Amino acid sequence: MYLGMFLLRKLAIALATMLVVSFLIFLALEVNVEDVAVKVLGQYSTVEQRAAWLAQNGYNDPFALRYIRWLGHFVAGDWGMSTFFRAPVVEIVMPRLAASAILAGGALLVIVVFGLGLGVLAGMRPGSLLDRVISVFSVVTTSIPDFASAVFLSGIFVFWLGLLPGASTMISGLSLAELILPVSVLGLYSMGYLARVTRASMVDVMNTHYIRTARLKGAGMGRIVLRHALRNALITPVTVIMLQLPWLLSGVIVVEVFYAYKGFGTLLYDAALNQDIYLIEACAMISVLVVVLSQILSDLIYGWLNPRIALVGAKA
Amino acid sequence: MKLIVPYLTKPLVLTGGALAFGWLLVAVLAPLIAPYDPLQTLQPLAKPMAHGAKGEFFLLGTDMLGRDIFSRLVWGARTVVIYATLATLTAYAFGLLFGLIAGYAGGRTDAVLSFLANVVLSFPVLVLYIVIIVVIGASPVNIVIAVTFSSAPAIFRIVRGITIDVASRDFVKAAITQGESTLRILFVDILPNTTGPLAVDFCLRLGYTAITIGTLGFLGLGLPPPTPDWGGMVNEGRAMAIAFPHLVIFPCIAISSLTLGLSLLADGLREVNDAKERQA
Amino acid sequence: MTQPLLQIRNLSVALPKGADRPFAVHDVSLEVNPTEILCIVGESGSGKSVLTAALMGAAPKGLRVASGEVAMGGRDLLTLGERQWRDIRGKDIGMIFQEPMASLNPALTVAQQIEEVFELHSDFSRAERAARARKLVEEMHLPEPDRILRSYPHQLSGGQCQRVVIAMALAMSPKLLIADEPTTALDVTTQAQVLKLIRELRDNHGHGIIFITHDLGVVADIADRIAVMRRGEVVEVGSAKQVLTAPQHDYTRALIAAVPSLVPRDRAAADAGAEPEPALTVSALNHSYGAKQVLHDITLSVAPGRVLSIVGESGSGKSTVARNLIRLTDPTSGTIAVGGHAILDLKGGALRRVRRRIQMIFQDPFGSLNPRRKVGPMIARAAMLSGAGRQEAVERAKELLELVGLQRNAYDRRPAAFSGGQRQRIGIARALAMRPDVLIADESVSALDVSVQAQVLDLLADLQKRLSLAVVFITHDLRVAAQISDEIVVMSKGHVVERGPASEVLTRPQHPYTRDLIEAAPGRGAF
Repeated sequence: MYLGMFLLRKLAIALATMLVVSFLIFLALEVNVEDVAVKVLGQYSTVEQRAAWLAQNGYNDPFALRYIRWLGHFVAGDWGMSTFFRAPVVEIVMPRLAASAILAGGALLVIVVFGLGLGVLAGMRPGSLLDRVISVFSVVTTSIPDFASAVFLSGIFVFWLGLLPGASTMISGLSLAELILPVSVLGLYSMGYLARVTRASMVDVMNTHYIRTARLKGAGMGRIVLRHALRNALITPVTVIMLQLPWLLSGVIVVEVFYAYKGFGTLLYDAALNQDIYLIEACAMISVLVVVLSQILSDLIYGWLNPRIALVGAKA
Repeated sequence: MKLIVPYLTKPLVLTGGALAFGWLLVAVLAPLIAPYDPLQTLQPLAKPMAHGAKGEFFLLGTDMLGRDIFSRLVWGARTVVIYATLATLTAYAFGLLFGLIAGYAGGRTDAVLSFLANVVLSFPVLVLYIVIIVVIGASPVNIVIAVTFSSAPAIFRIVRGITIDVASRDFVKAAITQGESTLRILFVDILPNTTGPLAVDFCLRLGYTAITIGTLGFLGLGLPPPTPDWGGMVNEGRAMAIAFPHLVIFPCIAISSLTLGLSLLADGLREVNDAKERQA
Repeated sequence: MTQPLLQIRNLSVALPKGADRPFAVHDVSLEVNPTEILCIVGESGSGKSVLTAALMGAAPKGLRVASGEVAMGGRDLLTLGERQWRDIRGKDIGMIFQEPMASLNPALTVAQQIEEVFELHSDFSRAERAARARKLVEEMHLPEPDRILRSYPHQLSGGQCQRVVIAMALAMSPKLLIADEPTTALDVTTQAQVLKLIRELRDNHGHGIIFITHDLGVVADIADRIAVMRRGEVVEVGSAKQVLTAPQHDYTRALIAAVPSLVPRDRAAADAGAEPEPALTVSALNHSYGAKQVLHDITLSVAPGRVLSIVGESGSGKSTVARNLIRLTDPTSGTIAVGGHAILDLKGGALRRVRRRIQMIFQDPFGSLNPRRKVGPMIARAAMLSGAGRQEAVERAKELLELVGLQRNAYDRRPAAFSGGQRQRIGIARALAMRPDVLIADESVSALDVSVQAQVLDLLADLQKRLSLAVVFITHDLRVAAQISDEIVVMSKGHVVERGPASEVLTRPQHPYTRDLIEAAPGRGAF
């Protein structure tokens, strides 16, 4: 019962967030109609051309009306025409989104496996050599900007060792070799971050009274970690994984641009460079939607992992 | 002195501090350290350690416009230190103010402010920047505005959390029952008790901001050329990186060492804070 | 003569360099026999918890056993490796802890946690394990054993959790049980039941039990033999009767003397006839959190120079009353008047002016003082807020520091430089700096060791008489209430169930709940 209420509440907040975000995006990009006309028709269009275009496309209506109409179209899947690609935005965005999903999915796999694994290993025996090595590693990976790790990794694997391709254009279809570098760069930051969160959570749990109880029952280290610590220690990090998605989306832009990967990130980038406002609007809306959905998913996972969710629901 | 000594005994803090303050020093002393004008064309695409026709020495080589990379790195330090610090400080001013208010007032004020913060935070950072830059254009001031807009909500969240924690302690209740004014409670009773965790966050945030400014530069959306900017240098050199890796490697090392320094510093500060807390 | 179950010989545990003393536990020799409860009593910092941890082979980080031996069944436990320890823990030695809820894994059901002991130490079948777990839960007098077994710890009360922990400790019928402050976190009535259960274990199963506590009342209820610890050393060991009635060591005598008596102290009765105007009146106070009503029609009043105690267990609503009195939260309905003026409608400046007259001393000596501010200026600030000039405020702060028994040089120090008892004195000074008419003390001595508690109580009683303060003293501890109150109000589940002069309530309780409470007070026969 509580879980239902809890979810309903979260959904309502998510919806409200999307509404406010859509308003902000529309406000930022379309409040100045002259600007819109220039961006759509180009700098060399005449004043008359712009005026005619504005009148024709309903831009002389009041702002509120325009927003509501825009929102209606957006929800219905009509996202306008891209001025740069000269095609409906929907048709351009979808395949790019799929391409980025492959990249992000790969990165997520790396993050989960290595982030959680290294974090648990480090947190089991805080202060040990292994812990210190892992900790230093995760500080380093979380400190280096994506574009710099891309430069370093490409320097090593492409130029020096010559093992991997330096660009990931995927011209000749999906290529695993071309995915390795972008996935690694993308995963590196969040992996280090997740390892740190996991380690901290693990250290906290290993210091709790109930772990002491387990020890004093006569349980060995393996059993303590697997049966008593892990489930409690993973609640926070697993929740955090989902919340890393905004970071991952930022990273996607950098990595795709660096490796010339034709995904959502390069699309947004091209849209920005070319002032393709309808495309920017759609990309921004989709990014936020992905983030908001990931937050809901994170709440769900939290509820599923934590037997005390009923209490959380009651309090919230 | 007693406050600083425990920080100095940690190797993490020392390494991090050395890196971070090293770059600060470079930024301050840029005119003295840089051998050449960062904008001056000398000799295109010289390799590192090469000598120029007029007897110049290019420690890290030159770029395709013939500018000395070492000098550009040194001046780039000044760029990043100035803009990252400025942007972080303005973000802190807003985040701190609203975080204290929301955390202390609670109720509807908190709900509204927290919701707004979450709205901004639901944008992936770079998407937010790109939208802002498309709307207001890339200029130094606009970059500071963009960073402030996107970091302030994160700072708000942290400050709000700490404020709620501190405000629940009895000494704040005591101040309330003494009839102390709300302003004084916020700034005399609560604020000084938040400095430990906030110092850690400030270091990290400074690093993020440096990364963000660098990333914007890398994407060609940052400070307009020919400003010496580390991210911008990578962007400009990228096309020729296969033949001339020194164009991109050195700026990447520069920014990574700065942000690594700040993270290590933050880590060290956190460790010392935790130890202090355990003692109390 | 039976063979002792466990024999500790000359055990010392070293503290790390730079600590205030070289050993946490120094040269301790003790023994426990079967069918015997050995109580180890000591105040905070006495080393009693380090001793128990060392007995379980789990000395806290940074501490190391320096010398001595712990013999059990012909083996020296201190020489065992981790693997051998694992066979002993849970099987030969069971352990019970202070924080029952925290001692259970939140992600596992009660059944899983109890059965685990069998998984570790026996080769019972799955069905056998389940059956035994159920039997244990029944033996702990837990209601609805099947529901309890299916539950997660957060679905149980503190008392129930403690029984589950005890069940777990007993699963393999270990010969020796070590209980570290097992009832400290529980309400008195629950505590009484758990103590009864522990006595049953000794009588019915012949366990040897080491029971660590700071509470002499509990000791008097449960101990066969007593060891008194102080600063890492055992200063006195003997049979319970001998130690409690004829203590040999000065420290034991002081400890026993400091236990507040349940017999009300003879306080000068109020002047007959002219009943003074009450300083504080509360009438028909109701408070709800959402749909849950936590206070029902609370009415009380206190005259200047009088102490009213509100006694109740956790969840009784006593702390909500305190929060309403100082207007940290507002009641749903009712009135509160200070010196005849209603305060609940006041806002802004008017509220701030009236706050001066009703001040509070808080429970936690570590949380109630701002760690970043010096003590003197903190008190002076309070004085200034009550209208004193800067010079006068500084003078008043210095006088008050002396009045509460601190040195004048305390003025320039920060709270970290003071002990818990001293911090409570500072809290009192700060409250008094405002020259209040009414003083609220919310569990103000609960966090203190008994010897310190006695001193702070004396100070409060003295100041209250001298300054003719009206005091509302909120406590869960009937003994403390007996020492300081003129009147007592007993609260339960948000209702006032009994009120009257302290001597009446304590010696001739009318309400069954009050009788239970007095009945449950530990060490009732001894002190």
